[in-house]
Amino acid sequence: MSYIILNGMSSDDEFIPKVNQIISEEFQQKDIRGDTIILHDKEIKPCLGCFKCWVQTPGICIIDDFGRETAKKMIQSDILVYLTPITYGGYSAELKKAVDRSLGLISPFFRVHENEIHHEMRYDKYPNLVVVGILDKPNPNQEEIFTTLVKRNVLNLFCPKYSTQVIYADDDEITIKKKIEESLREVGA
Amino acid sequence: MSKQLTFLMCSPRGDKSASHTIGSYVVSLFEEKNIVVKTFEVYKTLRKQERIEEMIKSIDECDIILLSSPLYIDQAPYMTIKLMDIISETFKQSKIQNKTRHLFAISNAGFLEYYHNNLALKIYEQFAIQNELIWAGGLPIGAAGTYATYPIPESLKMLAQLPEDDHRQEIYHKPTKILDSVIKTSVDHLSKGEIVPKDELQKLEFIPMPLEAYVEGGKKGWLEAAEELGTADKLRDKPYER
Ligand SMILES: Cc1cc2nc3c(=O)[nH]c(=O)nc-3n(C[C@H](O)[C@H](O)[C@H](O)COP(=O)(O)O)c2cc1C
Repeated sequence: MSYIILNGMSSDDEFIPKVNQIISEEFQQKDIRGDTIILHDKEIKPCLGCFKCWVQTPGICIIDDFGRETAKKMIQSDILVYLTPITYGGYSAELKKAVDRSLGLISPFFRVHENEIHHEMRYDKYPNLVVVGILDKPNPNQEEIFTTLVKRNVLNLFCPKYSTQVIYADDDEITIKKKIEESLREVGA
Repeated sequence: MSKQLTFLMCSPRGDKSASHTIGSYVVSLFEEKNIVVKTFEVYKTLRKQERIEEMIKSIDECDIILLSSPLYIDQAPYMTIKLMDIISETFKQSKIQNKTRHLFAISNAGFLEYYHNNLALKIYEQFAIQNELIWAGGLPIGAAGTYATYPIPESLKMLAQLPEDDHRQEIYHKPTKILDSVIKTSVDHLSKGEIVPKDELQKLEFIPMPLEAYVEGGKKGWLEAAEELGTADKLRDKPYER
C-alpha cells in the first residue's frame, strides 16, 4: 500500500506541519509508504480550462510542470490525503491549484450515476480519499460545506472509500492522533 | 452620485467562457441603469500588482461586487479562491472603507443540473460573511457551455425563430427565457440596493432535458472535437496506469 499527502497550507502556517507529521507517522507505523507534497513549494500553474487533457493529450495536462507529476502520484497511490486549511468552507487555493490540474484522471464522457450526471472512469482503480481540514475554532456552517464537498468530490473522483476529518488549531496531539487513526481506519489502512 | 459595480470575471477561457458571456450581459443591464462598472479579468489581473491595486480600489469604492466563475471539481477554481484570499487579506488589514456592499455571484457548471453549483455558491456566501459583504444570492447555471458563445439576447432572437413544435423550444428556448427573466429581476433588485429574493433565484432550479440526452450530446461533442485532432481512438487512454 502507498499514500500521498497533498499539503495545501500557506508558507507561514505553523500548525499544519505538525498535523502533517502526525499523519506521516501513522502511515509509517502501519508500514504504508509514501510522501508529502508541500504544494506552496512547487511550481504548479493554474488549470487553463482548455480540456486538452481530455481531447488532445488524453489523460495528460498540456502544461509540463509539477502539476502533471502530482496528478500521476495521485492516481498511483492507494490512499490520497488532502490536508488543507478550511477556506470559506472549501479547500485552500494551494490545494485547489493541484486538484484542478488532475482533471485528466477522469474521462471526458458523461454517465448517469446515482441519478445525476457525472463522468466515466478513466482508470480501473482510484485511491481512497482522506480529507483533513483545519479550522481555528468550530464553525458548523463551514464544516457542513466542507463535509458535503468531500462527498461530492468522491462521487466525481470514484474513490471507493473516504473519510473527512476536521481538526481545530487548539486540539492537542492525542486528539489529533485519534482523529487521524479513525480516518485511516475508515479507509481500510 | 452613481452607484458603482466591480465585475470579477474568473474564467481562464476569457471571452469564450460562460462566466464572461453571462456576466457581461448582466453588466450591460446594470449599465442601462447608469451604474458605473469596472471589469477585471481575474486571470490577467492577478498577474500584476498594479492591476491588483486597481481592483482593490474599485472594490473599495463600489456598491456591488459581481463575481462570475466557472465550477471546477465541485467548487471555485484555484484562481477564484486566490482572489477571495487577496480581497479578504485587504479587508483584514482595514485597507477597505466600511460601507454597504452587496456580493452577487454567478456559478457556471458544465453538468446539466443546476445544483452542482450549490456548494460553490455557499462558499461565496461564507466569503461574503467573513468580509462583512451582504450576500445578495447567486445564479446556479447548469450546462453553462450553452451560454458561452452568444449573449442571451442574441440566443433568444435565434431561438425565437424555431418552429413551435421543435424540441429545442423546451430544452433551450424555455430555459434561456427563464434565465433572462431571473437576471433582469436580479439586476432590478440589486440596483435598488436590495438582495435578490430566494424565490426568484429558485426559478432556475429545474432540469431542462433528460439526463441521458445530455450524456449522449456530451459524448458526441467530445468525439467530434477529438476527430478533428485525430485523437478519437485515444480518449480512453490510461497514461498513468500502474
Ligand atoms: C478543471 C475543471 C473541473 C471541472 N469540474 C466540474 C464539476 O465538478 N462540475 C461541473 O458541472 N462542471 C465542471 N467543469 C466544467 C466547467 O464548469 C464548465 O466548462 C463551465 O462552462 C466553465 O465555465 P466557463 O465557461 O466560464 O469557463 C470543470 C471544468 C474544468 C476545466
